[in-house]
Amino acid sequence: MKKKSLADQIFVICNTIFMVAFVVITLYPVLNTLAVSFNDGIDTVRGGIHLIPRKFTLQNYYTVLHKQNMVTGAYITVLRTVVGTFLALAANALLAFVVSRKRFLFKSQLSLFWVITMYVNGGLIPTFLLYKNLHLTGTFWVYVIPGTVSAFNMLVLRTYMVGLPDSLEESAQLDGAGYMTIFVKIISPLCKPVYATVALFVAVGQWNSWFDAMLYNRMSDKYTTLQYELMKLLSSVMQQSGSADSARNSANSITPASIRAAATIATMLPIVCLYPFLQRYFVTGLTIGGVKE
Amino acid sequence: MSRGKKKAKQEITWKEIKRQKVLLIWAALFVIYGFIFYYLPLGGWIMAFQNYKPKTGLFHSKWIGLDKFKFLFSDATFIRVIRNTLAMGTINLVTSFIMAIVFAILLNEVKNVLGKKLVQTISYLPHFLSWIIVTGILHDALSSTGIVNELLQKFGFISSQINFFAHESYFWPIVAFSNLWKETGWNAIIYLAAITAIDPSLYEAASIDGAGRWAKIRYITLPGIKPTIMILLLMNVGNVLNAGFEVQYILGNGLVQKVSQTIDIYVLNWGISQNDYSLGTAAGIFKSAVSIVLILIANRIAKRSGEESLF
Amino acid sequence: MKSKKLTALLLTVAMTASMLAGCGGDNAGGGDNAGGGDNAGGGAETSNAPETEGGSDETASSGDDGNKDIIDFTMFIAMPGPEINDGNEIQEIIAQKTGVRVKETWLTGQTAAEAVGTIIAGGEYPDFIDGGDGQMALYDADALVAWDDYLDKYPKLKAMYSDEEWDRFRQADGKIYWANIFQNTYGESKATTHNDEAFWIQAKVLAWDNYPEIKTLDQYFDLLERYAEANPTMEDGTEIIPYTILCEDWRYFCIENAGQFLDGYPNDGSVIVNTDTMKIEDYNTSETTHRYFRKLNEEYNKGIVDHEFATQTYDEYIAKLSTGRVLGMCDQWWDFAYTVNDVFKQQGLDLKGCNYVPLGLTIDEGMDNMWHTYGDTQNTANGVAITTSCKDVDAAFQFLEDCLDQEIHDLRFWGVEGVDYMVDDDGLYYRTEEQRMQCANTEYKASHLCTYSYLPQYLGTSSDGKNAMQPPEQTSEFFAGLAQPLVDCFEAYGVTTYVEMIGSVNKETGPWFPMYSFSNNMTTETPGGVAWTKMGEVKHEWLPKVVMSESFDGAWSDYMTAYEGCKPEDFLSEMQTELDRRAGQAQ
Repeated sequence: MKKKSLADQIFVICNTIFMVAFVVITLYPVLNTLAVSFNDGIDTVRGGIHLIPRKFTLQNYYTVLHKQNMVTGAYITVLRTVVGTFLALAANALLAFVVSRKRFLFKSQLSLFWVITMYVNGGLIPTFLLYKNLHLTGTFWVYVIPGTVSAFNMLVLRTYMVGLPDSLEESAQLDGAGYMTIFVKIISPLCKPVYATVALFVAVGQWNSWFDAMLYNRMSDKYTTLQYELMKLLSSVMQQSGSADSARNSANSITPASIRAAATIATMLPIVCLYPFLQRYFVTGLTIGGVKE
Repeated sequence: MSRGKKKAKQEITWKEIKRQKVLLIWAALFVIYGFIFYYLPLGGWIMAFQNYKPKTGLFHSKWIGLDKFKFLFSDATFIRVIRNTLAMGTINLVTSFIMAIVFAILLNEVKNVLGKKLVQTISYLPHFLSWIIVTGILHDALSSTGIVNELLQKFGFISSQINFFAHESYFWPIVAFSNLWKETGWNAIIYLAAITAIDPSLYEAASIDGAGRWAKIRYITLPGIKPTIMILLLMNVGNVLNAGFEVQYILGNGLVQKVSQTIDIYVLNWGISQNDYSLGTAAGIFKSAVSIVLILIANRIAKRSGEESLF
Repeated sequence: MKSKKLTALLLTVAMTASMLAGCGGDNAGGGDNAGGGDNAGGGAETSNAPETEGGSDETASSGDDGNKDIIDFTMFIAMPGPEINDGNEIQEIIAQKTGVRVKETWLTGQTAAEAVGTIIAGGEYPDFIDGGDGQMALYDADALVAWDDYLDKYPKLKAMYSDEEWDRFRQADGKIYWANIFQNTYGESKATTHNDEAFWIQAKVLAWDNYPEIKTLDQYFDLLERYAEANPTMEDGTEIIPYTILCEDWRYFCIENAGQFLDGYPNDGSVIVNTDTMKIEDYNTSETTHRYFRKLNEEYNKGIVDHEFATQTYDEYIAKLSTGRVLGMCDQWWDFAYTVNDVFKQQGLDLKGCNYVPLGLTIDEGMDNMWHTYGDTQNTANGVAITTSCKDVDAAFQFLEDCLDQEIHDLRFWGVEGVDYMVDDDGLYYRTEEQRMQCANTEYKASHLCTYSYLPQYLGTSSDGKNAMQPPEQTSEFFAGLAQPLVDCFEAYGVTTYVEMIGSVNKETGPWFPMYSFSNNMTTETPGGVAWTKMGEVKHEWLPKVVMSESFDGAWSDYMTAYEGCKPEDFLSEMQTELDRRAGQAQ
């Protein structure tokens, strides 16, 4: 052990330097956005803001938080995040459980069926027509039902479940447990880290999505979401929709970068707090071997 | 794990079907769900063979056969955007993949719990910034008076300022870097989760045997997360044609458009902004076909070599 | 970690608190809307509760007391724009007076064509729509109500355009389905700003040379060179940039189309119309354009043109302009002035003569310029339309009519008398500094002002014969905002406004003007459209390359080879057909 200590020390130093550099590089854009968000909107136009606001103001946050429908939007966003995460986790875990059973007759076929869904897309209009015919448009459910099962999350879960020893299932079956019991009582408790990971993925996706709110609940504010409200506030900076004609007539409405920054910070704060919370499931080392046989 | 043995085990018999009735019912429900939400909209693919007009819709638009595909593949620009997309997709795949794994493993070696959590949380923050913000900062940093030029000049690497966005050769690396910058922390989450599943007793045992840090990484950590690595690698192989749209769109300019345009940008210019839905659909079908072929090949290779596979 | 969590927590609490406080504020502000719910969000819910996506809320079932007859219409505008709050004060006043309230929804994160395509697929339309680039698709889908049977019943609406002008809106079936509402002057024009393209120059540069006559491109760059040599830095030591060019994405018109103006032609956008021969000409290959780019190339190699021009983003361009470093550029007023002038004012740079004035340059001396066109530019490609989903078409037309009523028009653009503007003894409207500030405030705009900016409106003189229809055109408002160096500059040249400054000839444009309303709507369905898109791509790549090249002639001939490869003749011949059609229709 002692012999290694020098190499070990060098490693620790290098690694620390690497981590510090990494943190500096990834923190910079966030701090920059923070600085811009607290800077006067007109002043920001001049550029050159780095880490400290040049002309401090709370006006940008005031503008963002006073946007109408922020309360409805926040409520719907929280609701879709909670409901959507719960549904997605349950559904993906169950599907992953099915395809990770060694004895399951169609596991290859069922996996292929889902893998393909990752690479095909019917397009905007056919999808819209489908949801409309299913009477999902104009409802809350359009946010949580269509995307519930996703092949990506299912495969992540499956990979983890396959790694669990078969003996768990076999011994439970000997005790007369059905598949539901095995799923809920035996497998799921062991899957906490991966459940936390998938929950994080789904929750962040739900929190950040706005396109569906725009597309499927366009003319009504009832099911608006936080991000959609902010996108509306910021829409004039979306450059790809630009043309000389439209800009000419809406020139006064260009939203300054400071508002964009404030909106970004305001919406990311609640969701980034989720990760530190979920991290505790990550460090619960498991006592049962997870190495592939 | 020879295939023959497995096959024998999985023979479809009434007894076996009865045994796993519950699994089959669940599977059937998922198939129905998947069919409705993922496969049914693919009916829209017929648009690619029509001159689709909103007025006539999917059912009454004029049939034009393979005209849209012919248009695409006879256009030198489209061939070039395929090249760009493949190149950027591959570069992004390789770099982001390696970076995420390296970062996850190195972070796992940080023994300070607080520091580890802090780094972990900070590293995933840029994921929440929009591309427009990230590219804005990047553009700033790489401008002639930006920090990068300043540093390079200070340390004498270059004598005069470089305009990074004016040269075709810098464009792909810049896109790759911005992807790394924004997503490394986020991509690492999944590996960090996989690492926690490794039995701690393995490390203890290795320590007692006198294994060093590298040995433990090589013989315990890496094999432990190998299934996850394999699955993600396979999935991402199918995504090389989804090299992105926003980054290239915002960072590109006239001087570098020969290397900056991706399939998605092409579809915007030649399809969507021309009210031509059919062209975009045709390009989409092409992308899907390529993805599925790539996946089938990659999966076969993985299976042959006894690795984790998608299906 | 702990302190980080704490900070996060504190911030969250602070934000929630201010959010709640904000709602209280809104409620107090919307006092006249007593029954309308507890807060803005809640109000929206109650009034929209029974409605489904895209449907029109015909029933006047909002909880508002005493105004049972108000019809709520919806409108989708396929352009990005600012949303106003429910219960907006002026919106309510207009609703009381006209019996109609319109809820506007703007384009968000999509292209116009895509948004319109989805709406058509869904088959349910808002009551009013402006489809932007997707307008034709709406017509094709039979989604719009023809105006022909209604127009005569609404005299004010009909008076917006002359019969000849209305005819230009007619579609293939001979009917009118929409009216463009911009650039329509009532009475005498009050235009003071030149809203369009020009070569701009900082007032201080002109002052430095004792206000010389600058008529040609060569004189312009000569002045920039001399000034830059004498004043290489600003007062604070920042290096100046004599000339920059924006060529990001669709904004590359700043580099692309100066050739047509330098030749003395108006902004037809994509082509020149030779009025002698009635033939379409391509300005991209003209001798003047060739000379223009040769000049730019020469100045680039002299270091006068910004070396980063080709790669700058719009934000960077605006940032450069805002610091006052840039002496001149070619651009359209609306593309830079609103933002840049605000910053100048805040930084006191306007007092140092950093504001830009337009110059009506031509390639040679003694030519007339047409940078400014005096008449209205009628863009027939899109405008406000009423859809077939609208259940009360008469009420919808009545509202369009009411929009042009002077009282409503004043409410929309000036606001409430005594609150948003004052009236002096002569009956002239003016705004105090405080009112000006207030009307520029984002939240005030959302909660109080309601311009219905995509519904019928006028520029020019109000029906009282004195005031301007819209505040920016009010002479007193214009002079109140003019910094001293600009006043000096105008005085030196013996002019009073930007329009006079550019000194364009007042020559009427033909009935075909502007041709860009046709080329903008071209699609790849026709060979001309394909050529047009390809030409755009080639120009995007080559124009900056030509300017930056070390040997101009070689680069120019490479560019021309690439350009010819796009088959511009296909495009030009389709433009010619359209020109003939428009000219023939006018006769």
